[in-house]
Amino acid sequence: MRTDVDGHDARTSSTGYQGPTGGGYFPGGQPPPGDPYRGGAPPGGPGGHYGGTAPPSGPGSQYGGSAPPPGGHYPGGPTPRAPYGSYGPGPGGQYGGGGGAAPGATYGGGAPAGGGQFGGAPGTPYGGYGQHHGGPYGQQAPAGNIPPGVDPEAFQWFQSVDTDHNGSITLKELKQALVNSNWSAFNDETCLMMINMFDKTKTGKIDVFGFSALWTFMQQWRALFQQFDRDRSGSINTNELHQALCQMGYNLSPQFAQSLVSRYGGREAQGAVQLDRFIQVCTQLQSMTQAFREKDTAMTGNVRLSYEDFLSSTIVRLM
Amino acid sequence: MNQSERTTQKQKYPRMAYQYRPSQYNTPPDQGFLWNIFQRVDKDRSGSISDTELQQALSNGTWTPFNPVTVRSIISMFDRDNKGGVNFNEFSGVWKYITDWQNIFRTYDRDSSGLIDKNELKQALAGFGYRLSDQFYDILIQKFDRQRKGQVAFDDFIQCCIVLQRLTDVFRRYDTDQDGWIQVSYEQYLSMVLNVV
Repeated sequence: MRTDVDGHDARTSSTGYQGPTGGGYFPGGQPPPGDPYRGGAPPGGPGGHYGGTAPPSGPGSQYGGSAPPPGGHYPGGPTPRAPYGSYGPGPGGQYGGGGGAAPGATYGGGAPAGGGQFGGAPGTPYGGYGQHHGGPYGQQAPAGNIPPGVDPEAFQWFQSVDTDHNGSITLKELKQALVNSNWSAFNDETCLMMINMFDKTKTGKIDVFGFSALWTFMQQWRALFQQFDRDRSGSINTNELHQALCQMGYNLSPQFAQSLVSRYGGREAQGAVQLDRFIQVCTQLQSMTQAFREKDTAMTGNVRLSYEDFLSSTIVRLM
Repeated sequence: MNQSERTTQKQKYPRMAYQYRPSQYNTPPDQGFLWNIFQRVDKDRSGSISDTELQQALSNGTWTPFNPVTVRSIISMFDRDNKGGVNFNEFSGVWKYITDWQNIFRTYDRDSSGLIDKNELKQALAGFGYRLSDQFYDILIQKFDRQRKGQVAFDDFIQCCIVLQRLTDVFRRYDTDQDGWIQVSYEQYLSMVLNVV
């Protein structure tokens, strides 16, 4: 078997970067079928999957230009935070209007208004959030079994989510446990993202400590979601998302919010996002805002990036 | 490592490719063969292969579970109507995609350890046409070395290449004068990367 690595043309080489070049390296000499990437690529996905997907917000026509900085471009303080301190301060009192249920204090106090609509179906522990505050401690496992630093309530949930009782939670178990307000299961991407965030050991599973942190993270996002779902529809539409992003401190256009909803909303939920996608969008926004901010040292809202700079700053922030 | 151990390890990448022999490179596998594999992978007989089913069918050659992020990337690539899995038609694409990657990976994983080191990764990516600095490979290894061995396993290698391809593709779209530099606003940057991740 021989690997043939030539086939990139001089024009692209001279630019200092170059995508994969096609064809020659396949042992049988066959080009990849349905190669979606214009430059040719390693094993091709199905035809047309990536090709021609312009960025959803369609800013394409103005790039390269030096538009004036839009003011305070990105947020001061991120919201429900990733574990282990990677995203800076946690939610403060900046959100206002929370009816006394300020993010960060959600599970200490009462459930936010509207919590009841997520109300508990059997076997959907998170769904029971609104009702769960009543008196969970009665059924609680003896305190001696709870590992130090783990929230007792989270510990209880951990035991019911860990259906095979092997002490760790897999993607499948997590997915079975999480529901949106329309009873759809959480999507795979969000579950995977959360597992990766809280899986310190990179095993693809989370232990009880990681779960406890995830549980808090979920509670905070759920409370925010409910707060931003102003019409109590159980999902967040484009307007609500734009307002939410503003309140979280992001300076993003309504068009951008629109593009997020169309990118993440999915076919079945036209024009709105469910809780899972909301968490996914906001978490990725946080992370990628951080990546941008690190490059925008002059705080102008514009950055000039080389190919490799772009790759490295983005890759290290990938969720 | 003796010869028989080598042979066993070589067979480990995608488990479902056990019976795939090099002599078959030029002929697409016949439908009966693929149907057989599909039925074995589709454990719940739902007619659609889920992330979990595909993950269990795949091996990265190191006895650790196949990277679920890679599984998700692959399924989402072939799952045309976003149903969360692949049907038989789509599965034949998945199968070819993975065996193609497997063949590429094998040429760089010369000791069949299931892992490639930094130099081998460099060779592989240079072979695809990437021109990247030495320091950048350290970043890549750090990001895609899930097993923390300073090397990249088969499953993570695929994911690494997918991410690089997507980011390169979006960069190129913005780099209209092809000089290797872009200037982008905050929103533009977000649009670029959220479209990829």
